[in-house]
Amino acid sequence: MRIICCRFGDKFTDWHVDNLKHMIDNYSGLKYDSFEVIENDIYGNWYNKLQMYDKFRDGENLYFDLDIVIYNKLPNLIRKQFTLLDDTWWREPAHTPLNSSIVSWTGDVSYIWNKFVSNDVFWLDKYNKGSDEFYYKQIVYQTYEPVCPSIKNNMNYKPEEYSICTLGQMQHLMEKGWTGWYSDYFIQR
Amino acid sequence: MIKVCTVFFEGKYSPDYVSKFYDSLKRNTTVPFEFVCLSDTDVKADLVLPYNKHSNIKLHWHKLKFFSPQFAYQKPGDEIIIMDIDQVITKNIDDLINYPVKDNEFISYHTWWPRNIKVNGGFYKFKSGDFDYIWNDFSLNPEYWQTHYYENGDVHYKYYGEQNYVDWKLFEKNITITEVPGEWLGKYTDNKKDMIEMNKLYSKKFNTDYMILDDINEKIKIVHLNGVKNNKIWNIQ
Repeated sequence: MRIICCRFGDKFTDWHVDNLKHMIDNYSGLKYDSFEVIENDIYGNWYNKLQMYDKFRDGENLYFDLDIVIYNKLPNLIRKQFTLLDDTWWREPAHTPLNSSIVSWTGDVSYIWNKFVSNDVFWLDKYNKGSDEFYYKQIVYQTYEPVCPSIKNNMNYKPEEYSICTLGQMQHLMEKGWTGWYSDYFIQR
Repeated sequence: MIKVCTVFFEGKYSPDYVSKFYDSLKRNTTVPFEFVCLSDTDVKADLVLPYNKHSNIKLHWHKLKFFSPQFAYQKPGDEIIIMDIDQVITKNIDDLINYPVKDNEFISYHTWWPRNIKVNGGFYKFKSGDFDYIWNDFSLNPEYWQTHYYENGDVHYKYYGEQNYVDWKLFEKNITITEVPGEWLGKYTDNKKDMIEMNKLYSKKFNTDYMILDDINEKIKIVHLNGVKNNKIWNIQ
């Protein structure tokens, strides 16, 4: 099984990559064969993530965003079909119900990359709020059952019924100076 | 523990504003405190926290982080003071730093010159966590709030309006603002005409001498600068 993450631009640093690996190795219970980091910045935005479908065309794949907190043993998140999060159990759908903070697939889904890259200028313009809308409108997908709440509804208490939270817009919680239940799981700065 | 919390970012001011402010605080109070600066460069402070230039939080809006009890290693019962660094302390400020604060009480300067909001971002004091909704609500939609007051015409520069937001949240929650005595606060600007008017207003309002002429009025403890070019005011430290 392959763990994948992406790091582009200045927003995230090596610390964030090391931190994800730290949480996976210490709290998730996941056993993996390789930990892959995609850093090739083609588009200057999160459409860069789509490169992973071209690069990893075999075996079991599990992708995580860097702005998450993993604090307990994860449920089985490996999926055969292309699967990502549906957030509408904790938020309004907005322009897409989907969230690609966690993505899994087995085998070859390079058709996603091929479809995007064959007309990338058009898709970037059409779905300019992010790649999750591209998935929503253009790709056949499956979604996880509720497995990953947002920390914004769980700032003061750890949601014990889950084992992973997305930070979403609360990425500042990873900066030095923030202390809460979540910071116990991050690498000390 | 009293935490005096500030924000510095390169641009309008130089890092020596922080060190001068820090030294001035230390020199002019006997009250123990920790000086915290959220800064994008190395500055003189007891605790320096990173100002993340790549974050979606802009300029002075970083000040709002101190309203979260989860920021700056706050502990229950801590008294949090948020101050701007463009201030000159002119005499002992024990009465200001030690100003008594009750649970759910919000303390700010009394702004004695005409203004359309009640709070003054130069000085906030409250108990840790009592107004956490100010940060929590803001952090849910920073893009909206950071341009709201500019688009509304309340402020003249994009990304200004942090004080307006704090003022609004306190109004929304029906919080009465406690004000420290207005005569403690002076205001200094390069504009001579404005200074004449301010001096007259201060004199009339507090039935005393002018605010700042050759010397500083003895009632004044701290002077809030309005503009970056008036460095000569540092001489009065």
